[in-house]
Amino acid sequence: MSELQLVQILSPEGELLTDPEYPLDISTEEIRALYRDLVMVRRFDVEATALQRQGELGLWAQSLGQEAAQVGSGRALIPGDYAFPTYREHGVAWAKGVPPEKLLGMYRGINHGGWDPRDNDFHLYTLVIGAQTLHATGYAMGIQRDKSNNAVIAYFGDGATSQGDVNEAFTYASVYHAPVVFFCQNNQWAISQPIESQTKVALYKRAAGFGFPGVRVDGNDVLAVLAVTRAALARARAGEGPTLIEAFTYRMGAHTTSDDPSRYRLAQELDEWKLKDPIARVKSYLTRNSLANEEFFAGIEKEAEAVASKLRSDIIDAEDPYVEAIFDYVYAEPHPILDAEKSAYINYLESFTEGEKK
Amino acid sequence: MALRDFRLPDVGEGLTEAEILQWYVAVGDVVTINQMICEIETAKAAVELPSPYAGTVTALKVNQGETVDVGTVIITIEDGVAGESAPAAPAEDDRNLEVPTGKPKQAAVLVGYGVKEGQTPARRARKAASGTQEELGESIVVELHDGPVVAKPPVRKLAKDLGVDIRRIRKSGNITRSDVLDAAMALHGMEQPPATTYDPHREDRIPVKGVLKEMAQAMTTSAFTAPHVSVWLQVDVAKTLKAVKKLKDWEEFEGLRVSPLLIVAAAVLQAAKEFPKINSSWDEANHEVIIRRYINLGFAAATPRGLLVPVIHEADGMDIPTLAKELMALVDTAREGRTPPNRMQHGTITITNVGVLGIDGGTPILTPGQGAILAVGQIREIPWTVKGKMKVRPICQLTLSFDHRMIDGELGSRFLARIGALLEDPSELYDESDAGDDE
Amino acid sequence: MITLGKAINMGLRRALTEDPKVLVMGEDVGKLGGVFRVTENLQSEFGEDRIIDTPLAESGILGTAIGLALRGYRPVCEIQFDGFVYPAFDQITSQLAKMHARSLGTLKLPVVVRIPYGGGIGAVEHHSESNETYFAHTAGLRVVTCSNPNDAYWMMQQAIQSDDPVIFFEPKRRYWDKAEVNEEAPSLGLHETRTVQEGNDLTLISYGPTVRTAIEVAAVCAKEGRSVEVMDLRTLSPLDLAPVFESAQKTGRVVILHEAPTFLGLGAEIASQITEECFYSLDAPVLRVGGFNVPYPPARLEEHYLPDLDRTLDAIDRAFAF
Repeated sequence: MSELQLVQILSPEGELLTDPEYPLDISTEEIRALYRDLVMVRRFDVEATALQRQGELGLWAQSLGQEAAQVGSGRALIPGDYAFPTYREHGVAWAKGVPPEKLLGMYRGINHGGWDPRDNDFHLYTLVIGAQTLHATGYAMGIQRDKSNNAVIAYFGDGATSQGDVNEAFTYASVYHAPVVFFCQNNQWAISQPIESQTKVALYKRAAGFGFPGVRVDGNDVLAVLAVTRAALARARAGEGPTLIEAFTYRMGAHTTSDDPSRYRLAQELDEWKLKDPIARVKSYLTRNSLANEEFFAGIEKEAEAVASKLRSDIIDAEDPYVEAIFDYVYAEPHPILDAEKSAYINYLESFTEGEKK
Repeated sequence: MALRDFRLPDVGEGLTEAEILQWYVAVGDVVTINQMICEIETAKAAVELPSPYAGTVTALKVNQGETVDVGTVIITIEDGVAGESAPAAPAEDDRNLEVPTGKPKQAAVLVGYGVKEGQTPARRARKAASGTQEELGESIVVELHDGPVVAKPPVRKLAKDLGVDIRRIRKSGNITRSDVLDAAMALHGMEQPPATTYDPHREDRIPVKGVLKEMAQAMTTSAFTAPHVSVWLQVDVAKTLKAVKKLKDWEEFEGLRVSPLLIVAAAVLQAAKEFPKINSSWDEANHEVIIRRYINLGFAAATPRGLLVPVIHEADGMDIPTLAKELMALVDTAREGRTPPNRMQHGTITITNVGVLGIDGGTPILTPGQGAILAVGQIREIPWTVKGKMKVRPICQLTLSFDHRMIDGELGSRFLARIGALLEDPSELYDESDAGDDE
Repeated sequence: MITLGKAINMGLRRALTEDPKVLVMGEDVGKLGGVFRVTENLQSEFGEDRIIDTPLAESGILGTAIGLALRGYRPVCEIQFDGFVYPAFDQITSQLAKMHARSLGTLKLPVVVRIPYGGGIGAVEHHSESNETYFAHTAGLRVVTCSNPNDAYWMMQQAIQSDDPVIFFEPKRRYWDKAEVNEEAPSLGLHETRTVQEGNDLTLISYGPTVRTAIEVAAVCAKEGRSVEVMDLRTLSPLDLAPVFESAQKTGRVVILHEAPTFLGLGAEIASQITEECFYSLDAPVLRVGGFNVPYPPARLEEHYLPDLDRTLDAIDRAFAF
């Protein structure tokens, strides 16, 4: 990574650096809090993965390795800022206060996104690649008209930058100076296709073509991500328009639990990135500088186990949806034809003798 | 302490089976939640499975190297959880999504989909249908818009063809084909008898059902849909009779009945091949004439059950010995009243042998769905002329009725004439160029 | 015995071998071999120039495929899942479908677009759609779907050989179904309906993933004394309905089964045509069994949404009640 130009404040070895463009004003307590965030998010993701392997979820998209990019940017947001995630931003959900078990509903197949986005200003997960970037831009255009001080952050991956919608979002956001931060997690892979198959130029440089600034940050460095995102949000709030942040990170897991990365990438690459682990470097920094002791770390571990345990029991006990749910939420306005379809189906179900299956 | 089954999950969106590559644990081992217990291989990937339970392994249900369906129990673990009962053993494919109650579901494996190989599909039991059709919810209620006539398209068509006003059929509910035919019979039946009343004890009443009903319906349908035209021909069948005698002695006909009817059948088949349009049928529904390239030859037979028309299928492909064999079987079976239903279907042309009843000819009614029917009269010795001289000759009258919608007078006549010619000299019909006697 | 997914792979391989102009392009089709492994090992055999991993942009896949076709190639595009075809919808409907007509026949676009479709795999949103009707409704496209490995093997090759654009729908929940494949010769042309099994009492028409359901339904009916004729349409545009009309005239009762919603689904078109052509033969109205007119529900409700054995039997019962 030394050849790459990117903003880094905390090296992989846990050494604190400074970047003159991105001064970071942060306390020890805040760093310890960030460490806790990172550990919780990872433990959550590991547990969700296990639950999938046990048949409790049909699918899971792992955030493993991307904790710093998500927590760092998530923690840069102020109340009222709105986040548009893809389907992997469990760390941002954590930072925004979305109850973790709610993220699992869609992967378990009981809903298509089980939280109210307005509760935490965290939009539902969007599975169509890149679509949410246009939504984010439009939302930001709304904020402009409301003359609010809030901003919007749109998450997407490296693969998404090839989609038409993302490029259209860049266009719209730039010509309107929309208060939106485009946060691209370049985790190097779009399922089996490496970043080279999506672009010939470093992603952060694409912004220049659209007329707004782009910056590449070490996506595994929670402090750098925090600093850079804060700066971008400040620009947006000041009416200076969008910024493209390329968080350079790595997808340590598979694309989803249906994927088998051993088919297209080498274990060696994984090993190289393990040396840049986002959590290890923070632990290293705290330990080396005597800013946290064993008791602190043990406490975090214990809390993480509790988070995992609660997640497990929450999801196993989660209620299946009512059959009516198929029909009830399609329209906002009354729809007599759908009502008739629903009651016909309910009658049909009731025409079977009890307790029998096929 | 409860026994927990772990069923093989679908780990990759629609997978249906996996091979257990390797067990990491053995019976008796203590495992923790998420401890890796085995490696499986699916069509997409090899993955490790973490234990969903903490406890002691009591059974490994699948062997290493074995491939099993998703949903199969692969391991049983006795967990340390006191007092909690094990989930009721669900069926192999546990998709128990009940009608809405909101009660929490027991932990179920999100199993793969589709019927597993070897599982027999069966329908779920329905409650008895309650009351009228309207109560069956999304079911059939037939919307009656313009009044109470309920009849299906084929039935309406039949009514129209038979000149029956369907609205006058006094019946509530579904009007059937049978209802229309009954109405047609009444409509086209005999004139009403005079007003005099007769003592009913001087009458016998036979219920119209079974063969009687079928015959009445068939004849009515046929008579009042197809315009019948009849043509007749008297034929000198001396050579036919000679042929019959000759063939009886042939080896191929040993044990078989050879009669003039056989020769008539052969002649009809030959003529029908030469005039293919005679072997046809009027398809009103499609506005098409169907000309069939196979001949299923029916024979009107008086049987103990009544008038039936058993059929020799694919008669056109048969040589005379085979035809004789089939005809013999057909007649014998019909006489015994044992003709099976499938032997009375799909006839394309019919012969009715009125001669055995001592009749010269008649105006036969077409078998419904056919284009022509040949009545064969008795063979009488009557004065005739041969080469200008008076002789007594065996003469048979043939009457052909045909459907003048698609068979015109010329075709019908030529067809009949050809049959006559073949009966006058049947030597074309069989393989021996024995010139025979002339006369 | 070969799986349906593998049969498609074999068909692609044979087409790639026989015609050097054939290309395969899409996301993750090369190195990975496709998320369902349908294009497995093709890149190692035919090279990166012919088996192309594209940038993540469906519109781009279709648009560049059109360009390649204009240059004389025969691209086989893959859309990774049915729900992701929409970014490419404009290229498909405005360009792929219309260029031949626009150019008065001068320009041919022998492009195949492979789309895994249908539900029943416990998936998240956008992975279980049945959107074949949008494409069947678009003149200029040919739309086909296989239900079994043998058809998969042959129809893929026939689609590639067609000089018209073909949308090739693959029933993803049947990718692992196994059956014999006869590699010698196809039993049917690309645009022919197949009578799967004969019957006299009712005609049950389906295509794609629900053909197997139809066969199971017929088996249950047989036990109940009803003889059901099962037909696999295979071709959705153009429809091959002559055998269907013949069957309807024979049985007098018809039920059409598909996963797509019944409202404006293919069943509606077929029912209309059967009613026109076979009116006097019908003892019951043509009935349709399909999905509800709602977005595809979450996986734990999909069993309710997907038309299954019992829903189809219900329609058959109703047909016989007329």
